[in-house]
Amino acid sequence: MNHLVFRTLLPVAFIALAALLLSFMFGTAVGVLAFGGAVAALLVYHARHISQLARWLEEPVLDQMPRGSGLWDDVFALLYRYERVKTREHQQLAKTLVRFRQAGRVHPDGVVILDAENRIDWCNDMAEHHFDLTLDGDHGAPITNLLRQPEFVGYIEAGDYSSPLELRSARTSAIILSLQIIPYGDAQKLLLSRDVTRLEKLESMRRDFVANVSHELRTPLTVLSGFLETIRELDLDPQRMRDYSDLMADQCKRMQHIVDDLLTLSTLESAPSPSLDERVCVAPMLERLRVDAVALSGGKHRIVLDASGDYDLLGAESEIVSAFGNLVSNAIRYTPEGGEVRLSWRASEGAAEFAVEDTGIGFAPEHIPRLTERFYRVDRGRSRATGGTGLGLAIVKHILNRHQATLEIHSVPDKGSRFAVRFPARRVVPATTAAAARGEA
Amino acid sequence: MAQEHSSKQYDLDLETLRSRVLEMGGLVESQILSAINGLATGDTSTLDKVIQEDTRVNALEVSIDTDCSHLIARRQPTAGDLRMVLAVIKIVVDLERIGDEAAKIARMGKRSSEHMRLPRTPIAAVRHMGEIGIGMLRKALDALARLDPVAAAAIVREDVEIDEEFRSIVRQLITFMMEDPRTISQSIDILWVAKAIERIGDHSKNMAEQVIYVVKGTDVRHTTVEQLEREALG
Repeated sequence: MNHLVFRTLLPVAFIALAALLLSFMFGTAVGVLAFGGAVAALLVYHARHISQLARWLEEPVLDQMPRGSGLWDDVFALLYRYERVKTREHQQLAKTLVRFRQAGRVHPDGVVILDAENRIDWCNDMAEHHFDLTLDGDHGAPITNLLRQPEFVGYIEAGDYSSPLELRSARTSAIILSLQIIPYGDAQKLLLSRDVTRLEKLESMRRDFVANVSHELRTPLTVLSGFLETIRELDLDPQRMRDYSDLMADQCKRMQHIVDDLLTLSTLESAPSPSLDERVCVAPMLERLRVDAVALSGGKHRIVLDASGDYDLLGAESEIVSAFGNLVSNAIRYTPEGGEVRLSWRASEGAAEFAVEDTGIGFAPEHIPRLTERFYRVDRGRSRATGGTGLGLAIVKHILNRHQATLEIHSVPDKGSRFAVRFPARRVVPATTAAAARGEA
Repeated sequence: MAQEHSSKQYDLDLETLRSRVLEMGGLVESQILSAINGLATGDTSTLDKVIQEDTRVNALEVSIDTDCSHLIARRQPTAGDLRMVLAVIKIVVDLERIGDEAAKIARMGKRSSEHMRLPRTPIAAVRHMGEIGIGMLRKALDALARLDPVAAAAIVREDVEIDEEFRSIVRQLITFMMEDPRTISQSIDILWVAKAIERIGDHSKNMAEQVIYVVKGTDVRHTTVEQLEREALG
């Protein structure tokens, strides 16, 4: 700086010295004239550069920095260096900001930044989706103008944000959101929204399960205690006694079935995945299933077995038998007398399918997604009357999941149903018995 | 509003007025939603709550009306601000009526939950119609919040759809009544509910027209849909 001041003053001193010299040589008038002229020229030089600088400052673009001469060249160079550093810092900050915003935008939870008056300052993609906002259109709008549910308005106004608020989304009532407000900084607020639909569903399934188990066990217990009371209070003849104890035994068996099924489910849940070493010989198993089916039906249905493809399965035999058996007994139970139950087995190198088709009473397609839930019943009275525990398909589903198999259900009311089990390629192997038989032949 | 006022308080008053209307709107929205859900599930405690909460809607109407008259007296609004205040006065009336319809649906729901003779089909149809009605109300309030005339114009079109839905429910109920005269009293209840929802559609349409009035300054009530869309988009 001092250096620049010195360089500014130096020409003036030089001109003054020269003018003094001239005035000695040619007289005072010439000296004054020369001094005035030189200073004027110096002023013009400075004025031109100052105007250049002023023009550039109006629109400071780094590359269009004016070029000066002499003293001004140094000034411009200093300015250029300063400007370049600042620009770089600015760019870096902007880049960081963009990075943060991008990270915020893709955050899996909804994030809305609210100012002191609860106006929307910024929000991410998920928040736009949850609350049906658009950042461009709704920037600066009070959040309660758009998120109008009284529960939320009450929550934000009460000012107690210690616990989150659960809210059904107004846009799509199927979504349940958990909202949490976090005040921060200068009276600003962070509104977080999380989709808890799944959690909520699990929670309600758990509640239903406990209620269902109690209900399922209570019904036979009520019957049982009713009979016990009758036997104790009344003097019954032996024939009646026998009838009653038969009925009581039936109810006991029912409870036993339910408890057995529950235990099976819990064993399946805790047991490790079945190994790929154990081989299940499908052909004899299918034959056993058919025989069991005929016995269960008692000659009231036509049972057809239609198997093709000499392939076996890898997995736990007892589990697969239980799953298939469940499907078959369901089909027989829900098919009226004279109907047909068809068991089919289609296997090839890549995949295998076991299907049970019946001409039974069927059910409406809206039940399909919930059919494998524990104790879910299409028609409450119907399945209990036929002796089901309500756990059969839940067990089937569990077993199939453990074998990476899928269950496909089709049904038309009053026409019949089809339950198909598909096994993945790695669970299907060529049958050894068949191979051996071919080898012998 | 678009231009800045010299008095910041004035701006704040107008903004608060709009927010209060939307708050009332939010309450009314949840009232109908609960009423229709309660009707479909037969949950009387929800329905009782709807009937109780209606007094809150009424209180909000009175209080917002007072705010409006204070604002006019104190600020003498002109142009867009005046239109906003006028529209608010009318929208509040529509919202209060919608609140009444919700209470009416809740009362019908309580009565019909006691002895249901009708099959579920007309109830499911009413529920579907209710969803359309709630959607219209929500969009009308969104349009007011965003001052969006284009969205408002779309609501007017939707009103045609809800009217069609109403006619189809009427036809369905007539069939039930002819088949089994014992269902008549209940069918009439359901008919009232459907009519109430149809009215919700009409009130939402009125609110949408007020939004167009605020933004565009032209009164589009009692004009054809095409004319209204031209005004809203132009």
